Amino acid sequence: MSREGQKLDYAAAGGNGAGGVGIGVLSLDLLGQVLDRLREPRDRKACRLVSRAFERAEATHRRALRVLRREPLPRLLRAFPSLERLDLSACASLDDASLSAAIAAAGAGGLAGLRRVCLARASGVGWRGLEALVAACPRLEAVDLSHCVGAGDREVAALAAAAGLRELRLDKCLAVTDMGLAKVVVGCPRLEKLSVKWCREISDIGIDLLAKKCPELRSLNISYLKVGNGSLRSISTLEKLEELAMVGCSCIDDEGLELLSKGTDSLQSVDVSRCDHVTYQGLASLIDGRKFLQKLHAADCLHEIGQRFVSKLATLKETLTALKLDGLEVSDSLLQAIGEGCNKLVEIGLSKCSGVTDEGISSLVARCSDLRTIDLTCCNLITNNALDSIADNCKMLECLRLESCSLINEKGLERIANCCPNLKEIDLTDCGVNDAALQHLAKCSELRTLKLGLCSSISDKGIAFISSNCGNLVELDLYRCNSITDDGLAALVNGCKKIKLLNLCYCNKITDSGLGHLGSLEELTNLELRCLVRITGIGISSIATGCKSLIELDLKRCYSVDDAGLGALARNAFNLRQLTISYCQVTGLGLCHLLSSLRCLQDIKMVHLSWVSIEGFEIALRAACGRLKKLKMLNGLKTVLSPELLQMLHACGCRIRWVDKPLVYKDC
Amino acid sequence: MASGTATNADPDQQTVRSNSVEQFYFPRPGQSLPGIPPFFGPPSSSLYLANDNEAKVGNQLEPNPSQSTDWDPQAIVSNLTFLEQKIKQVKDVVQSMSNRENQVASGSCEVAAKQQLITADLTSIIIQLITTAGSLLPSMKNPLSSNPAVRQLSNTLGSPMGFGMNANQRPSVDSKTDIPDIGKASGYEELINSLNTTQDERDELIKGPNPCGGEGSEPTPMEDHDVKESDDGDHEGENLPPGSYVVLQLEKEEILAPHTHFCLICGKGFKRDANLRMHMRGHGDEYKTAAALAKPTRDSGSDHAPVTRYSCPFVGCKRNKEHKKFQPLKTILCVKNHYKRSHCDKSYTCSRCNTKKFSVIADLKTHEKHCGRDKWLCSCGTTFSRKDKLFGHVALFQGHTPALPMDDVKVSEASEQQQGSEPMNEISRSMGCFPCSSSDGISNLDMKMADDVRGYYSPMSFDPCFGALDDFTRPGFDISEDPFSFLPSGCTSNNETSRVNKGSNVPPLGLWKWTETLSDFSH
Repeated sequence: MSREGQKLDYAAAGGNGAGGVGIGVLSLDLLGQVLDRLREPRDRKACRLVSRAFERAEATHRRALRVLRREPLPRLLRAFPSLERLDLSACASLDDASLSAAIAAAGAGGLAGLRRVCLARASGVGWRGLEALVAACPRLEAVDLSHCVGAGDREVAALAAAAGLRELRLDKCLAVTDMGLAKVVVGCPRLEKLSVKWCREISDIGIDLLAKKCPELRSLNISYLKVGNGSLRSISTLEKLEELAMVGCSCIDDEGLELLSKGTDSLQSVDVSRCDHVTYQGLASLIDGRKFLQKLHAADCLHEIGQRFVSKLATLKETLTALKLDGLEVSDSLLQAIGEGCNKLVEIGLSKCSGVTDEGISSLVARCSDLRTIDLTCCNLITNNALDSIADNCKMLECLRLESCSLINEKGLERIANCCPNLKEIDLTDCGVNDAALQHLAKCSELRTLKLGLCSSISDKGIAFISSNCGNLVELDLYRCNSITDDGLAALVNGCKKIKLLNLCYCNKITDSGLGHLGSLEELTNLELRCLVRITGIGISSIATGCKSLIELDLKRCYSVDDAGLGALARNAFNLRQLTISYCQVTGLGLCHLLSSLRCLQDIKMVHLSWVSIEGFEIALRAACGRLKKLKMLNGLKTVLSPELLQMLHACGCRIRWVDKPLVYKDC
Repeated sequence: MASGTATNADPDQQTVRSNSVEQFYFPRPGQSLPGIPPFFGPPSSSLYLANDNEAKVGNQLEPNPSQSTDWDPQAIVSNLTFLEQKIKQVKDVVQSMSNRENQVASGSCEVAAKQQLITADLTSIIIQLITTAGSLLPSMKNPLSSNPAVRQLSNTLGSPMGFGMNANQRPSVDSKTDIPDIGKASGYEELINSLNTTQDERDELIKGPNPCGGEGSEPTPMEDHDVKESDDGDHEGENLPPGSYVVLQLEKEEILAPHTHFCLICGKGFKRDANLRMHMRGHGDEYKTAAALAKPTRDSGSDHAPVTRYSCPFVGCKRNKEHKKFQPLKTILCVKNHYKRSHCDKSYTCSRCNTKKFSVIADLKTHEKHCGRDKWLCSCGTTFSRKDKLFGHVALFQGHTPALPMDDVKVSEASEQQQGSEPMNEISRSMGCFPCSSSDGISNLDMKMADDVRGYYSPMSFDPCFGALDDFTRPGFDISEDPFSFLPSGCTSNNETSRVNKGSNVPPLGLWKWTETLSDFSH
């Protein structure tokens, strides 16, 4: 609990104890202000639990709500009448019926203030629910419907009734066609942000109508659509467009970019990554027309860069802040030209670029002192010299990705750690660094993300260095660091209490006692324990009871985990949303218990559960039917499970991935 | 390239040729005297002349075919003027050649090409002379043109003629650019040969002697050529200058006749003369001789067929030659389609929609491919056959929006009911111990969980309320117990939606809106 939280707690408790003097005398408004300043949800909860005044203040003051189960939804909507943001993306088994019921329960004015609704992955919600929602929320401004793969034109048409809509995300709503898009653009003319990524049915005709009907559009994402240059011609008529993403649009080529460059100068960010037919010529003509471009992402689409592009790039000297050229063959002279031409760069991406050398990097960073993010993934020619020049020039560095740069060692990282105190993220996957490197990195107390996968020489000692000074660490990746033992974990949890994501796959020296230490990480949300053959149900129990926030757990090939472990999860891990138990030693009973108890579980992978009978699967799946969204099972079960069960799973929006893998026991 | 140009009957080439050779005789179909085979009798055909004034002459002559071949001083004068000009042109070319020879010694291929040009020009002058003489002396005409010597002349010399005329038409400076190099010379020969063959075919098509006496010289349909011109407007962009082509007009009966070649013995009709000849073999050995089976011999005055265009027999039609803004039809197939489409009853009805009617069966077939499918509907009720048309309409009119097809609503409702509620009910019936969790918050398996109210809230990310709102938990919980408790409220909200829609400027979305609402009630 944070410090301010503790203080408030104390005040509230004192106030109540003293009979009405203290917190209770403050106005609700003031208390609301106080609550607004509490950043940690846990602290707000503590206040609410301790004082009724805070409880009342929160009821009137609360603006945002994230609901994880559908049962309390109606009551929650009634309790917080001034909600503005509602996140239902993780709400288990939400469907039309429950959503409509909740909206009706909230009453006429209950949702009048609601502006933003997130329904991402809420695949159970169809057009009826959306229609009810839109009707109840007259001020709706933003809706996120992404990854509702079943959503089609009818769902989108229901949204079109929200005339005030400004933001809409429809990523991967696979069934949305031009018709649905047309409904939205006619119904919501004030649209400012729209993403139709992966809506493969949308064509040039739909985009053309969009450009005609929504002149306010500022941000548009048409990635992976089968649209061609005609769309860009239409898009170029949008006078306020600032951001355009068209990743993987293989029908777009240089001609389209030239059409785009004829539009107005509002465009600030363009992403043409993976557009196979775009070359540097097209980008050059685009830059020519857009003098105010700030971000240019051209990852995995360019094969060569000509002088014309480089000279045009130099014209963006004052504005360009982010440049991504992943997968390009670069030369020292090109990097030098970029460095000289664009010295306001904040972010540069050179991931998987061949030909990146120390000289190139040093000439790049020499003039770019504002760089905060440098991505050198798989630039395996660079050595400590490059790190030295980065350290010397980029004092503001926050993120450095060096995956597979195996020529670097602790000396280079020492320079980085000494010169870049703001470093927040560093990726050293497969760099073969050792404990000494970690000792240097530990100087970066701001470090949030540390990836050390495949660095097998890292031992408990190195972890102890990190733990000693990096208390803000949120993500730690120790994939296949198989020298790490339980002692390392003990050291880790001593210093890094805020870890949310932890990967310990294949660290096969870890036993139940190590997991016992992990149990004290209350904020842990994602934990991967793949192939830890020594852990058993006891270790899982300590995680389940300790890590209350756990959302994702991977236990694949933990051969010794049995029903006891699942039972502990079933009793304690209420937030668990994703679970992998393939190859575990569980029985049908354990599975049934698990699936019927875990009310947030949406995604379960259970391949090769050889101890579970067909009846076990059938009963367990029926128990969890309405909640599951994704399922991975052996192909053989497809025919033996009852057809009505599969039909029902399908009806509830669950996607099943049938796999056909041989049963192979591996010991790492 | 050569053959391509030839089979397509390049309009340029044809234009040029018909410009230079101004007169052509065509047996006027249906006007040949009965009993006299059309190609051997006295020429009864009307004469169509190329130049404007000459065309008028031809028209004037039309009512009196017998005079048409008599003295026409005007025509002869114009012919002679033409010859005069031509000779002058040739003279110019020769002079320019001699000048050039002095200047450039190396242009041997150019010189060769020019020589070829001159030969061609001279040939055309000779032919022109002969034709003019032929028209001057009617009795001479047939013997002259059928004279083997002349035929040979026109065959051998006629071949480069197309090219020669081409050069002739342009200013001599320009002509230089068109002169082929030596390498292409053979290509040209090929081109010319194939041109000749097409001319042969053409002649056959147009004047093929017809065993069926009554029919006159009926042109065979163009299918033989594999020319796909189903639309009678095909030539719109062609813009042949009036008079640069010969106009042919078929009679209504001929246009509508299914067959154009009839067996004289049994009366069976055929589309193609070749098929008729094959048929004739069955009538006796005399038809099996090589001579009888061979293509009928030509008796044409010239080997270069003119550019032929067709006129619709319907007076007043824009395609009729009498029309002020006459637009000729390009092929016989065009004539047939045009006549049927514009001047005949539409006898073919689409069996799907029972409304669309067509007079050309191919049109019906095209329509049937699209009929009934892809009906793109706007909220205003207008339907479109194509999506882009609908979107163009929607873009144009404020407030209009595409309407989703009504069928979809029904289908999705039906399938949802089937997939959603039915299996669930069934399963909850069949498995009493596991009530479907999507309709019920409590699972019998784990009553402890259901009792533990806190278990329904996340301790952290779902922090909102459970401490504070413990009191509300139970009553609120009851509400969602009944899976169908939402229904009345759901309906009211649906009603509201439709009211909103009606109230706003947006036009009502159409009938389906109400269907939905009603079906919700019934649900």
